[in-house]
Parts: sequence; C-alpha cells; structure tokens
Amino acid sequence: MYEIDKLRNIGISAHIDSGKTTLTERILFYTKKIHAIHEVKGKDGVGATMDSMELERERGITIASAATHCEWHGHEINIIDTPGHVDFTIEVERALSVMDGAILILCSVGGVQSQSITVDRQMNRYEVPRIAFINKCDRSGADPYRVAAQLRSKLGHNPVLMQIPIGLESEFQGIVDLVSMKAIYFEGPNGEEIRTAEIPENMLEEARTRREEMLDIVSMFSDTLMEAIFSENVEEEMIHEAVRKGTLSRELTPVFIGSAYKNIGVQTALEGIIRYLPCPDDVQNKALDLDNGESEVLLKADPDLPFVAHAFKLEVTPYGQLTYIRLYQGSIKKGDDLIITRTGRKIKVGRLVRMHADQMEDLSTAKAGDIIALFGVDCYSGDTFTNGNLNYSMSSMFVPDPVISITIIPEDNKSQNNMSKALNRFTKEDPTFKSYVDHESGETIISGMGELHLDVYVERMRREFNAQVSTGIPQVAYREAITQKASFDYIHKKQTGGSGQFGRVAGFMEPGENDTYEFVNEVKGGSIPTEYIPAVNKGFQSCLQKGLVLEYPVLGMKITVNDGKSHSVDSSEMAFAQAAIGAFKQAYMKAKPVLLEPVMKVSVEGPSEFQGNIMGSINQRRGMITSSVESGKFSIIEAEVPLSEMFGYATILRSLTQGKAEFTMEFAKYAKVPESLSEELKSNLRKKGKGEKRQ
Amino acid sequence: MTNFASVSPLKILEKSSPEGLGRGNLGVLIARAGVGKTACLIHIALDRIFRSGKLVHVSLEEGPEKVTSYYNVIYHDVAEALDIPNEDEYQALIDRNRMILAYLNRSFDLERLRANLNNLADRLEFSPETLIVDGLDFENTGIDQFKGLKKIAEDFSLEIWFSALSHRHIKDVNERGIPYPVNSVDEIFSIIFHLHPEPSGLFLKVLKDHDKILDGGRSVKLDPNTILPLDEP
Repeated sequence: MYEIDKLRNIGISAHIDSGKTTLTERILFYTKKIHAIHEVKGKDGVGATMDSMELERERGITIASAATHCEWHGHEINIIDTPGHVDFTIEVERALSVMDGAILILCSVGGVQSQSITVDRQMNRYEVPRIAFINKCDRSGADPYRVAAQLRSKLGHNPVLMQIPIGLESEFQGIVDLVSMKAIYFEGPNGEEIRTAEIPENMLEEARTRREEMLDIVSMFSDTLMEAIFSENVEEEMIHEAVRKGTLSRELTPVFIGSAYKNIGVQTALEGIIRYLPCPDDVQNKALDLDNGESEVLLKADPDLPFVAHAFKLEVTPYGQLTYIRLYQGSIKKGDDLIITRTGRKIKVGRLVRMHADQMEDLSTAKAGDIIALFGVDCYSGDTFTNGNLNYSMSSMFVPDPVISITIIPEDNKSQNNMSKALNRFTKEDPTFKSYVDHESGETIISGMGELHLDVYVERMRREFNAQVSTGIPQVAYREAITQKASFDYIHKKQTGGSGQFGRVAGFMEPGENDTYEFVNEVKGGSIPTEYIPAVNKGFQSCLQKGLVLEYPVLGMKITVNDGKSHSVDSSEMAFAQAAIGAFKQAYMKAKPVLLEPVMKVSVEGPSEFQGNIMGSINQRRGMITSSVESGKFSIIEAEVPLSEMFGYATILRSLTQGKAEFTMEFAKYAKVPESLSEELKSNLRKKGKGEKRQ
Repeated sequence: MTNFASVSPLKILEKSSPEGLGRGNLGVLIARAGVGKTACLIHIALDRIFRSGKLVHVSLEEGPEKVTSYYNVIYHDVAEALDIPNEDEYQALIDRNRMILAYLNRSFDLERLRANLNNLADRLEFSPETLIVDGLDFENTGIDQFKGLKKIAEDFSLEIWFSALSHRHIKDVNERGIPYPVNSVDEIFSIIFHLHPEPSGLFLKVLKDHDKILDGGRSVKLDPNTILPLDEP
C-alpha cells in the first residue's frame, strides 16, 4: 500500500565518534533488518553492519550503501548515508539534496564540535529539517543539558528537550518522556523490550518543570496548544502537531537523548523521526525546465504525474553498476523506458531494487518520493531521468570549464591501474572533474574547479582505490584576449614547383562579446570564392587554441573578413586556411592582447568574531568583497578572488579562525591580470618552459 | 561627466539643501508596502556612489543576491534614461564602492553593525560616507536605538538613510505633519521623505528638510515603474 505520508527519507549526520554507526546498527536491529548487533570495534570480529569492509567483500555487495530501507510502526524509512568527511564535494551535496529530514547526532560529552557546525551548516543550505539525538549519555562526563544549550549557542537552533535522562553516566537507566510524562526503560538482552512506568518520585518535580519549559517553546507553533495550556487541557497529539510544525519550518529542533551503545532511547528517537520529520509531500522540490531557459518548476510527489528522478550515487558491485535514484514525481516499473536528460539517450529499466542493510529486495514498481536503486544502467551520478515527456533536469546542465589542473604520477603499476579505475569513476560522478593524458609529456593531468576540489579526489584515490600517487604543482588555466581592433591583410603564397598555394585574406579582428568567437563574412564580389570562406573561418579558429602571448587559448574575438584574392589554379581550402593563420599572426599582437585569469566567487562562512580576519585574508589575496551576511552567530562573506591567489587558502583560513570557518568557491569569470602583475607572471610562466599542456 | 543628479530623487533638495543629508545625520523615506521604498533608496544610493562616495547597504530582509539584482535593474533604468555610453565603467564603479551587509534572521544589532563597520575600515580600508538601512522595523525600534544609530553616524562620519513602512489603515500624524511610524521619533531625523501614491501619480514629498518643516509642500512626481523623476520640482 503506497502512502506517501508514511515515508521518510532521512540522513544521519554526525561528528566522527559521536556514534553514527552504532545508532544506525541499532535502528536496523530494532526494525528487524539485521538479526544481531555487532559493535564497531567488536570483540566478535564481525563489526557493525554499516561500515565493515570485510563484510562487504565477503558478501559481494556493498552494505555501507548510499541508502538503506527499514520499517517502523507502519512507516517506511530510507536512511541516506551522509558521507563522513566534511569536504565540500558534489557527492556530499547530492546526498543532502535527496534527504527530506535528518537526525543530528551529538555526543553528550564532546557536545557540538566544529565538524558538527560544518555539517549543520550544509544542512541549513539545503533547508533540511532536523531532530537531534544526544548520544552516549552513559559516558563519564555526559551532560545532555549542556549539549542542548550548545545547539542554541553554537548552531543557532531553537532546541527543545522532548525527554530527560533517568540517571546519567554509569547510572543512566532510561528516559522520561515529557509529552506522555512517563518513564521509559529499555530492557531485554538488546533493549528491545520497552517498559513504560511512572516517573520516579525523586524526578517528578524536575520533569514537571522541564515539561513546562517544553510547552512554553512548543506552544509558539500552535494556537490550539496555547489555548489548551491556559485551559489546562493539553492532549499529547496537540504537542506532537506543534512540534512537527516547528520542525518542518526549521524553527524548532526537538532533542532526544539516549545511548545507542547501551540500547537506550533508540526506539523513541525512531518515533521522533516518523512523528516530526517531513514526508516527501511536505517538502518542496524543484527541477529546471530546459525547454524554458532552465526556469524552476515545482515537482509534486504524485505517482500519476510524468516521471522525474535523480541519480544521486553510483556504486560498483560485482553485478554491475548500482544507481541510487530518488523519485520526485511519477512512478517507475520494470521494463519502462526512461530518458537521461543529459544525453537524451533512452534506457530500459531492468532490475529495480531496494537495499535492506545486507540484502537486496527486487521490486516491480516504485513511486514518487521513494529512494531505490537501478541495476545495470549506464549513467552518471547527478543525471536526471524522465519518461521523455518532460525535459527537466534536477541540477543545472551548465558545466563550467575546469580552471585548475595538476599532474598526477602513480608510484607503481598497481597504482597506475587503480588510478585509472578511480579516474573513470570520478569523471562519472562529477562533471566538473576531468582527466586526460597529455600527448606531449605522457603525463596524466586532472583538472577541476579548485585546489580543494582536486585534493579531495587525490585523497579519495589513495583511500578508496589504493592508488599511491604524487602530484605536481597546480596550474591555473589562464586565457588570452585582445583589447582593441587591428586589421590584417595577408597573402599566403607558395609557388616553388608543383601545385602552388595562393590566398589573400583581409579584414580586422576586434574584442568579442561574452568571451565568444564570432566570424563575419563581408566579402563582396567574390574576391574570396564562397567555397573557401569556411576554410578561412576554420583557419582563424585553429589559432584560438593557442594565443601568441603565452600560448593560452584566446577568449572573446570577432573576426570580420571583408576582402581577399584567389588564384584560379593555386587557391585551395588549405591555402586559405593558411592565409587566415598568417592573418591572425599579423594582427594579433597589434590588437594589444592581455592575459586573463580565472576569478572565483568565494564564499567564506564562520563565526562572526572572525569576520575581520576573514575579510583581511581575502583583501590580501586581491579579492573584492561584495557582501557580508550575518545570520545567527555566523557571518558569510562573499567575494571575488583570483584563483591563483587561493592556493593554500584552506590552511590559512583554518589557522585564522581556529578551524571554525570554511569556504566554497566556484568559477565566476575571466578577468584581466593587473598590469603590475602581468609582466612578472609572463616571465614566470615562460621560465616554466614550453611543452606543458595548456589547460 | 554624466549628469546623474538630474535623475536622482535627491534633486528635490538641490535648492534648499544642496549638501544633502550631511554626515552624522539620519534621513528616512516613509512609504506603504509595494510603493517602491527599496527602489527609491537605491536611487539615493546610486546618487551617493556616483558622487564618488563609498556606501554600505544594510539589508534586514533580503540577501545580497537580491539586493545586487535590485541595483542592477535600477542602474539599468538610470543608464537608459541618461543614455550612458560607458555603462560597464559605471557598473564597475558601483561594484567597487558598494558593500552589502545583510542581517538575516533578526541578527541586526548596533554592536554588530559597529563591529562590521570597524572591520570594513580596518581590514579593507572601506570607510563609507553613506549607509542605507532597508527593512528596519520602525514599529519595534525605540528612540534609544535610533540614538545609537545617530551615534554611529557621528562616530563613523556618515549619513544614514532608512526606509520606514507605513500602513494604509494607520493614519496617525503628529503635530509636525509627520506620519506613522516616524511620528514618535521624527526629531532625530534631519530629512524625512514621504513616497506617496495619489490618483495623479506617485509623488516624493519632503516633509522635513533639516530645520525646516515643510508640511508636504515640496514634491517631485516619479515614474511609478522606474521611480525616476518625471518633472522639475
């Protein structure tokens, strides 16, 4: 039975060591997806279900899957794996984009740490409603109240404790639910038997006070509840409704407590997930209509509407490529034809599967809102699938050219093979990441959108693919452009025996608009025969690959050809192409070419007390700050900074802000290198020598 | 030099107060929702920038992207009205001389503004002559806060322009002819404008010009689409 309001797509996000794996393990156990609990650092040598590489190899499929499915009290829950590393990669972004809600796990001892801040900020960007689970209340030094307060002070949340602990540290026995005003104990060998009892006498007073505080906060989201409080007629359902409303609008974060390790509080947190986090229908999802200038269109989680789905993760299994997709609209069944928006190619749906921890379930159909996987579909991560009636894409089809490149050298043959596998995988995952072999030097070059972007992939090569590689110095992708009009009049003539070559091309070059190339034919009276005009155009275009200043590609040029001459015997396409090349060389330097550098749109986010330091660091890098946004306790500084100045910025930023700030950057535009730096840059680049592939 | 002053709402002051609002002073533009407060403030901002002054735009409701696009649209109208040949050059001037500070989710307070202005001056050598504050909730801003803002204007030697949202159903006007919601704090403002739609068009009226109370006597008619002046004041 398909009931969209009983479906949850949630992420579990956590700081390292706050117990994400253990909590996931317990959830899968209580929802009967696994039948035994293994600890992360288990004495039984098996390890927990979600992260054991050994198990993965043994069972042939990956268990640490991108999404795993379970059921709880009539609700279906897809748990989406949130990559543990906080690096800004497209993979993390995609995982965030498919979740409707999240559970934020915090350690009751360690509290909110800088990594939690980063993860939380990413969730804010994707407007993901969340609930918090304060884990490890059995540990020495546990203080869930302090951690709940940090949710406010460090993350700017509006936390509300839904429970309080019965005992703490080694005395931690259970919880008091402030909604039902009952004590809850988790008994049996694995905490699977829930026993509800009266609140212990010595805690009654505190529980009442905490409930009052909870009602004060929660009643802000419901007039009905507010009135019921005055008339002392509060019902549990009213509280749940108000908390849900506050959570969905991201103005409230309900806080649950427990210890996954000690099997306390997991089931009540699961209740929190289904009660307070959104179903797919509660969330607005937008696609871009490619037939309408990439304008945004709202998608509706209706199984009867035309199909739209998004591939958010690829996994290679022994049985072929597994493609995880989130269905945003419509339905899918085995044997359906789908269209990949990026390529327009048609694919047939072969196997549809749902991942259940360590098992796969074959499905015959799936509907809007769900997360499933397809087997054997040749596609890229990030691809959008439709039924062909719509030309929608879930993300922009615009792929910017890479702005930075780096040489990678494998240390041995094995690494060479592994590196090839890794590069093949990464280019499928991320369209902004490219790799090629330089035909001149024979070296492998990877290119992408920034130093950090490439660093992440080099690190993944080492970590995930066991490819030991070393890297060269990053190269910025400079460009050249002319700044003024210059005329040409060039005769290409070769008449030294055999068939000769003759062609004359005259006209002018001038700066073009929007970095594009434009060719205008104004030749009159057939002074260049029409059939040779395309060859002239081709000749000019070939010159744009390598400018004459430093052999970088040339951007933005308009060529107008208005005169020429041909020879009835010696003229040919090749002769006119050569004449165009000669004409280009004749005029290019007269047109005052300059060097252009990639300028990045940089966004730095960190606690407001570091705003000055961040601003200073950008200013030192020839950056132009355009705005600063203050929100909660954070500042987001937006600036445009030349890419060449951003090398090593991650390290500098870390030291300036005690590791509490982070930055993202994307390509903004090409801009002229200032005169004062241009000469120095030219001589440096010339010193590096020719033969390096320009990117 | 292109005559930007000819299309500025501030030309209404050109005879009485050619120096404009003046450093250390506060000015306010009162209007109902949807009449063009932000657009009019941005015209004032462009006037200040084209007089080669640096400017900080404080937005309490919109993020920087939206504010930037407002500026782009309004500048485009100005460029079209004046038929500016070197549009890009002035666009670059705007980008260089304008800083947007957005305070979202009720994060605005005087201490934070002061710290931000200090950071701009110390770290970027960006010392504005004008501050535009758009979206301040006048109904919930007390006189003490305005005094604090006045002190900031004096300490940083800048003029501050505000927008104030009035309501159709609240018709309160004080004895000096200043309408709600500025009626209880008007003394702290040196210039008070009222942007007011009438059957015959949209008018910008001067209600107070430094020590002169004008009782709505001086006004300029504006194009309701572009907020550019339509005739001589």
